[in-house]
Amino acid sequence: MSSVVAPDPHDLTVRSNGLRRRRIVEKLFGLLAVLSAVLACGILALVLGTLVFKGASQLNLDFFTKSRPLFGQTGGIADALVGSAIIIGMAMLMAIPVAILVAIYMSEYAGPKVSRSLRIILDVLNGVPAIVVGIFVFGLLVVGHGQSAVFGAFALAILMLPMVARATQEILEVVPQSLRHASLALGVTKWRTTWNVILPAAIGGILTGVVIAVARVAGETAPLLFTTSIAANAISVNIHQALPTLPVTIFSFSESADPGEQADAWAAALVLIGFVLVMNILAKLFAGRKRRKLEGS
Amino acid sequence: MTTTTFEPAAPETDLRRRGIRLGDLFFRGIAVAAALAATVLLGLIAWKVFDLARPAFQDFGLSFVWTEAWNPVTNDFGALIFIYGTVVTSLIALVLATPLSIAIALFLTEMAPRRVAGPIATMVELLAAIPSVVLGLWGILVFGPWVRDHLEPWLQSVLGFLPMFSGDPNQAGILPAALVLTIMIIPITSAICRELFLRVPRDLIDGSLALGSTRWEAIRGVMFAYAAPGIAAAVLLGLGRAFGEAIAVNQTIGNHSVIPSSWFAPGDSLGSKIASSYAGATSHLEASSLLYLAAILMVISLIANVSAQFIVVRFERARRGL
Amino acid sequence: MGERGRNMKRALALAFALIVVVAVAVFAGRTQSASAKPEADSLVGTGSTFVFPLVSKWIPAVDNALGIKVTYTGTGSGTGIAQVTARSVDFGASDAPLSPDQASACKSCVVIPWGLAGMSIPYNVPGLNGRLRLSGPVLANIFLGNITNWNSAAIKALNPGRNLPDKKITVVYRADSSGSTYAVTGYLSEVSPQWKSKVGQGTSVNFPVGTGARGSSGVAGVVKSTEGAITYVDAAYSITNHLQFATIKNRAGGYATPGVRGVTAAVSTLPKKITNIAQLKIVDPPTRAGKMAYPISTFTYVIVPTSSSKAGDLRKFIYWAVTQGQKFGPPLFFVPLPTSVKGFTYREIKKIQGT
Repeated sequence: MSSVVAPDPHDLTVRSNGLRRRRIVEKLFGLLAVLSAVLACGILALVLGTLVFKGASQLNLDFFTKSRPLFGQTGGIADALVGSAIIIGMAMLMAIPVAILVAIYMSEYAGPKVSRSLRIILDVLNGVPAIVVGIFVFGLLVVGHGQSAVFGAFALAILMLPMVARATQEILEVVPQSLRHASLALGVTKWRTTWNVILPAAIGGILTGVVIAVARVAGETAPLLFTTSIAANAISVNIHQALPTLPVTIFSFSESADPGEQADAWAAALVLIGFVLVMNILAKLFAGRKRRKLEGS
Repeated sequence: MTTTTFEPAAPETDLRRRGIRLGDLFFRGIAVAAALAATVLLGLIAWKVFDLARPAFQDFGLSFVWTEAWNPVTNDFGALIFIYGTVVTSLIALVLATPLSIAIALFLTEMAPRRVAGPIATMVELLAAIPSVVLGLWGILVFGPWVRDHLEPWLQSVLGFLPMFSGDPNQAGILPAALVLTIMIIPITSAICRELFLRVPRDLIDGSLALGSTRWEAIRGVMFAYAAPGIAAAVLLGLGRAFGEAIAVNQTIGNHSVIPSSWFAPGDSLGSKIASSYAGATSHLEASSLLYLAAILMVISLIANVSAQFIVVRFERARRGL
Repeated sequence: MGERGRNMKRALALAFALIVVVAVAVFAGRTQSASAKPEADSLVGTGSTFVFPLVSKWIPAVDNALGIKVTYTGTGSGTGIAQVTARSVDFGASDAPLSPDQASACKSCVVIPWGLAGMSIPYNVPGLNGRLRLSGPVLANIFLGNITNWNSAAIKALNPGRNLPDKKITVVYRADSSGSTYAVTGYLSEVSPQWKSKVGQGTSVNFPVGTGARGSSGVAGVVKSTEGAITYVDAAYSITNHLQFATIKNRAGGYATPGVRGVTAAVSTLPKKITNIAQLKIVDPPTRAGKMAYPISTFTYVIVPTSSSKAGDLRKFIYWAVTQGQKFGPPLFFVPLPTSVKGFTYREIKKIQGT
């Protein structure tokens, strides 16, 4: 006596009827997945291609040695490159030590509750939009004192801090506890353990985090708009005044009607993306080395 | 037979012990100071934004949030126009980016051979590395005109009966801005989804395949069910990112302070309005109202980010308990 | 330990290099300050993009003549007013004078006219043979959104015989707080009661229709790339970007252009003695200004705190700007300041004292 049982609704094998139809559906979604990947790569190629196509012709010596043009002139991005380099350098000096220390505190000293609270604080800080950071630094520092490269660097440092801190904290967590125990058991003080044993083990991951943060922050415009945008059209290293930067320069050129300035915008964007790509490749190299090291050790 | 014994280290003199404690104390001290600094910084940001927004808050109260007005001549301000712009562009970007990101992540984890997956994954990451001002530049000079000349007329011919796809095509408006945001959040969401899919236990999928399901059915039934909270978190993180983007949106949304009836028309968003107008706000009330917009932006970004964290924590914990 | 040690050393080397770079920058900056005293001889200002072409010419010239290094960026008149009020710059440039509220917020600032030019109305109408003619009321209706197509009857009436295409009008306005907006909305308020009641005048107004763009550069850029677009911008930007601009009908019935002659005619009816900024409103000039008078002309001002640590340099710079600097104007369609206005500026410059 055979009884017909209703198919179990959770039984995947009878969800759809007919093997051929299921195979067609399978192929369809596979195709969609491939197309999506192709689309993403296509957009990347399109954007980069446009940059190269429209900007490469402007990349002559003048472009890298002259400063941004005044009205009706031609020029280059020399002053913006110098300004960006100085500001990013200062931001790194401000953010990285603090970020590493915060991460060390979270992983070596703080209890689990404090550590979790700090993690939340860092994530919230990470989520503050860059434009809000810009007006915060403006309201706090620029009002009454004037713009300066230092304030711009401070705004960028606020953006870098949570990125570097989280990356460092995650890599510190991966460092095996046995290292710490061994070092402490040998009588090494806690701080020397951290400084001479743990940090060197984590350095690959920390460098990765730093490089990624620098790449992110090198292209940020909003924090610099209110803190270091009124700058002389000449190369300057006076950090007490506003210095020109590459992203803000691209932002102002991008809306211009002058085809010369538009071409300069493309070329400057090409330079910026070149820098960001190099940083990302560096990060991958560091990450690869870190993974091999931690896996090998 | 000799036995080697390990003698404990000779007891240090009092002086040396004190020196060691000092080093430890100092190091711990600066670590605590750094942690405090980060906390104080966050508090300071929140306090400063709300403090500067207070005059507008006192003048307009909470009704500012749903007031549709922005008139510096009559000192009539409200946030609704910009909340609309921010939310609509971000939601459109989300609706478009999520399936694409999931598809890309699936492609990279399930379908592509190892040799192809690596470079393609790198390319998707590089999409994330494009600075927003560069994407905005591309949006103004290349993408916007293409949208105006090709995409919007096509959409109008196909979906023109809907009010949001009617009206004249423009090179700057809700739609170009939303599409640029889509490009920005795809890498974030797909990277997280890729991590998630890699972590799905293979035996669950193998089990499903063994029972005769096709690969797509296994993915749909097993993988998505397993990764659903993670995908939700990824989506929320992408949303938070979209909310906060000011520069690329400012370059492509058209900067028209109205709620447009059509998505082809120019509008404005919270971040974009702040970027346009904050430096030039000539009345105290206008500056304060812009800070009120900033406070709203901070709050909705916070909600998106915290929800993402919450989902991760809650479901990860539940899963570990299983 | 070798690999880690090497990486650690690399990290420390990088940190050291960074510190060295920044230290050099700080030190170099300080020595720059010490030797050339640029803190004493450098001025930072921001504001109007309208006057940016003229200030661009002044910057190298005043460095040569007086040794003062001026830094100026065009960010919009509103920003100029806001930043000088916040004392984050030494001077602000604005095409709009300070309102009473702004004047009290600025805490005893002087407003000194230092430039004079016409606001051109460029457009992008493909296939148009000849220059477009517009009148005040028609322009107001375009900006109000009452006239939406280039081949509408009102525009056709002013332009008989021209090929006006069937193309939607895209109004482009300044999204940032702008003195150009102030000038043009002042004109529109004069010629259109509907504009005056519905929108009004200001550096930042609620434009009923159109797309916003930042800076004079930005609006010129959108017009250049959008067929059917129209905007308002300083004449120098229209010329350098090869944009056609309209002739505007004035009260005397003539169609005037925003060139040197048009603006000179517009200011010909100013009183002989100027005692008040309010007397410098020159939009919609009266009939006796003649047929050449361009109706949307505007002065542009520099706003300076009366008690500034850089009072000496500011006085020297502004005096140079309103005297020798004026000769750089005409090639950029800026008209040299009339004598009556110059007298007013000298009196205002004297009010700038040190702290």
